[in-house]
Amino acid sequence: MPITRRGLGLAAAATGLAVPALAQSEPIRIGWLAALTGPSSAPAVGFNRGVMYAAEAINGAGGVKGRKVEIITRDTQGDPTKAVNATQEMISQLRVHAIWGPTNSGESLAVTAIMARAKMPNIHPCVVDSLIDPAKYPNAFRIAPSNTQWDDAVRGYTLNIAKVKKVAVIGDTTGYGVSAANASATAFQKDGAEVVYKANIDATQPDMTPDMLRARNAGAQAIIIWSVSTGMIARLLNTRANMGWDVPFIGHPALASGEIGALIDKPANWEKVYAIGYKSCSYDASGKLPPRNEELLQRLQGKVNLHDTLLWWVACGIDAVDLVAKAVEATGSVTKEAITGHWNGLKDYPGYFGEYSFTATDHNGYPVKDVVMSAASSGKNGTFALAPGYG
Amino acid sequence: MLASILASGLAVGAVYALIGITYNTMFSTSRVMSFTAGQLGMLGGVFGSLFILRLGLPVIPGLLATLAVCALIGVVTEIVAVRPVLKSLDQHLYVLSTLALALLIQHATALEWSTEPQPFPRLLGLGAGIWDEKYWLPVVACIVTILGLEYLYRYTLVGRAFVAIAEDNFAARALGLPERNLRMASYALAGAVGALAGFSGGQLLLAFFANGPLLNFYGFIPVALGGLGNNRGAVIGGLLLGLFQQAANFMVGGIFSSVAVFTLFIVVLLARPQGMFGAPQARRV
Repeated sequence: MPITRRGLGLAAAATGLAVPALAQSEPIRIGWLAALTGPSSAPAVGFNRGVMYAAEAINGAGGVKGRKVEIITRDTQGDPTKAVNATQEMISQLRVHAIWGPTNSGESLAVTAIMARAKMPNIHPCVVDSLIDPAKYPNAFRIAPSNTQWDDAVRGYTLNIAKVKKVAVIGDTTGYGVSAANASATAFQKDGAEVVYKANIDATQPDMTPDMLRARNAGAQAIIIWSVSTGMIARLLNTRANMGWDVPFIGHPALASGEIGALIDKPANWEKVYAIGYKSCSYDASGKLPPRNEELLQRLQGKVNLHDTLLWWVACGIDAVDLVAKAVEATGSVTKEAITGHWNGLKDYPGYFGEYSFTATDHNGYPVKDVVMSAASSGKNGTFALAPGYG
Repeated sequence: MLASILASGLAVGAVYALIGITYNTMFSTSRVMSFTAGQLGMLGGVFGSLFILRLGLPVIPGLLATLAVCALIGVVTEIVAVRPVLKSLDQHLYVLSTLALALLIQHATALEWSTEPQPFPRLLGLGAGIWDEKYWLPVVACIVTILGLEYLYRYTLVGRAFVAIAEDNFAARALGLPERNLRMASYALAGAVGALAGFSGGQLLLAFFANGPLLNFYGFIPVALGGLGNNRGAVIGGLLLGLFQQAANFMVGGIFSSVAVFTLFIVVLLARPQGMFGAPQARRV
């Protein structure tokens, strides 16, 4: 049969007529930009367990109004270039309905503007403050604390709970370490504390005695740490012990990294160290998590391995998928406008990691009151004990 | 404070000196500055930790296995990154080839080992405070190495052959010396010396893939200060560098100590371009 222009037109029209019916049953495609391999892959591996668990749970219960959730994962290896390529592919070829990730700020800085141009609904857990700007990026929503929120939590614990007024602020020499230490020192001074010593240390410096001696001589009552370098942190802790100084360390979540346990000279060197943690994933004096997450923990047992990851990564991954699914369920639509619009009106959404609230002018959804300090050496099944002083 | 400066300054200085000797050993038979020297130091720490902590070997077999593997990597360096560019030394292609191999080693270590520092075992369990073994082991390793090399170069046939190749490559070949084999042997020796640097300093530096570039930079300074090819100069330069760096750490702080070190380095080279212990080379015109 010859192919005619009229025939082609009729075929196109027929296909067009079929689109609405197809759209009602097509899966909800969620793009997942995950640094599953390479350096700094640990968080994404944890998030991924939550993502897969949530998708299976939703699909197992019949999906969202009959629609299955389809997770389309691209391993970005922590490389911003690969993240950009994967984002372009998700937007223009895979035609996903929303994107979860990337999960580190370097990649997110590279892709946020691209997603904004495509108006792609995007949720991420990256901490850099500038990644959230509802005027520039109305499509981007954060479901983890920002750097400022971390800083507020550390300062709040130091000044109000530990009742310390003289602090030494130490960062590493990376861009993050320098900017975080500067911001932290400025905020401490603004709140009336005395920053008696501030330093940025090369993470590979083999001996930390000079800086610790200067901090002690300056009269520091607490050491505030802004670094992801576990080697540097472990050396500082060993030096503190060798000096016979019992000053508390307060700061970055890396203080609670399992790597530190292997690098310190003896377990006691890790005492009086308080790392940023989250109320939802911290256990109290009786060893219990908040009821909702205690129940989640029971459900995850045997299905999700928590021994080599953190519960908040898994919980956050579950929340990300649930947030997309709930938006589709509430609006009955997978359009970008519908999903973004739904998120803009969320108030106290009860996720496992936190209670998220967004407005059209504030896309930082994580409540600062849920950012708490944890006893760094108390890790158990990806959860931590609350630092002393919480009621 | 003075005791701390001396203890840690001499320890890191001895590690830098050993890396300087690694550079010199490779340079002597090939006229090539191989930028894999720092990576060999890094691998000394990583393989030491691997063999002793992860695989459970006793210290001495762990040390010997580390030296052997790094010696092998030294030989591979010669075959892969040095030999192909020897014919065009004046184009300095070895900078590219050895740097590329160094990067390859570093990334492979990051992928296969860890991107986080890993613990290095306590080797002898001796000493505490400033007399802790982590401070004096690198110094002992440095003394043993320099004495061993002096013995090798002065009293053994192979050592004299190394010296002959270093003095005049063409004349040595004309005398029938197996230049290629000797060069490979010198790269194996350099690999072992680099490994010893990382192994003896492992408790200070940890088993960390990012130690490579650090040792490459700070190990090169003693070579430049002490004079290219001069092992005694490298040892003195390395120890002085370690002491100065640690004193600067105490006086002006970590970030500025690097600035102080490189300022001193430039000032010394401006005053004595041939290094503190090197002799000016005459060039026939």
